[in-house]
Amino acid sequence: MSGPHDLGGAKDFPGPIDKSQHEVEDWERLTDAITTALDGKGIKTTDQHRRAVESLENYGELGYYERWAAATEKLLVEKGILTKEEIDERAAEIEREWGGE
Amino acid sequence: MSENGHDHPHPGSGTGKTTTPHALRIRAMEGLLVEKGVLTEAEIQDRISYMDSRSPANGAKLVARAWTDEGFKDRLLTDTKSAALELGIDASGPVEFIVVENTPEIRNLIVCTLCSCYPRAILGRPPDWYKSFEYRSRAVKEPRAVMREFGFEPSENVEVRVHDSTADIRYMVLPMRPEGTEGMGEEELEGLVSRDSLVGVAVPKNSANHE
Amino acid sequence: MIFAEGEAVRVRSLEKSGHVRTPSYVRGKTGRISRLLGGFKNPEDLAYGEYDRPEKELYRVAFRQSDLWRNYEGGPDDTLVIDIYEHWLEKA
Repeated sequence: MSGPHDLGGAKDFPGPIDKSQHEVEDWERLTDAITTALDGKGIKTTDQHRRAVESLENYGELGYYERWAAATEKLLVEKGILTKEEIDERAAEIEREWGGE
Repeated sequence: MSENGHDHPHPGSGTGKTTTPHALRIRAMEGLLVEKGVLTEAEIQDRISYMDSRSPANGAKLVARAWTDEGFKDRLLTDTKSAALELGIDASGPVEFIVVENTPEIRNLIVCTLCSCYPRAILGRPPDWYKSFEYRSRAVKEPRAVMREFGFEPSENVEVRVHDSTADIRYMVLPMRPEGTEGMGEEELEGLVSRDSLVGVAVPKNSANHE
Repeated sequence: MIFAEGEAVRVRSLEKSGHVRTPSYVRGKTGRISRLLGGFKNPEDLAYGEYDRPEKELYRVAFRQSDLWRNYEGGPDDTLVIDIYEHWLEKA
């Protein structure tokens, strides 16, 4: 059945198209790179990536590259390459190192 | 538009220290994947450079050449990858390309309603509006209203033809050469071809002679 | 089932769960084959790591916009073309 990604003709977004462009951030370029590099090495496929994106519970709340990052994480965990715990831990370390709260 | 791919120099994966949850998590994944030998830093940097080297300037080159060389235009329409390679644009990879031609009777518009498929290997990362839920939902159902928002209003008696990219084919529009550009050289013509005209929400304009 | 260019086809309303690449808005709608694209791996297999299943024929299918949307605002000749895998199509 259709999911939140099946947007063709959907009535929920009737508004004008926002034509403003944000500067692509480094973490977005990194997300793009990691996702496509994993595809390029045959570790996952574009369709697995799409499947993972479509199944995100908060699909509609996330930005484009947030969906990519979440889908890549989901597939890496699903394939047993990384665990959620080690990603949690490393993300917390980086946050401390960068002085974020 | 400037030379192929050199208008936006970026430094590597950079040092932007964004601390939103997903930004932190992708940094964490980067570190872990490299430590475990799943990916190397070089492979990641290669992918970043690859995408940074793609831009709408590539599309403009293809279009300007097609406008000035009928044989090239035929090749662009029938075998996009090898036509692109003739101009030094490497669009190789797992997806195929189809270039759709605007004519006096047809105006084409490209969308991907299910995700945001885009001819990235040629044009680079898609613009934000192309990925918006508004564009993805409306472009198929009310393409003329969408075009109007971009300042383009095709007449009632032309066919507006929407292409929804649902599979492993990526689409790009070959717009019509504007009138009054007969004396222009290829480089000058490239300057008329905007990214939006390669998606089909706009048409190239000769600044001296509006359509 | 192999279809020919120009043939009238209907998009099936399959109740498939999981990853598919046939949007809802074309399901049950009738259009015409506008181009044969050749064989491609089925995304419904690839999405679950099934890389060795046979290819499916992929078609460009053209619809009149007025057949897709009630009260379509636009020219009577406006069309929409979309890529659909063979198992989603039937003769119309």
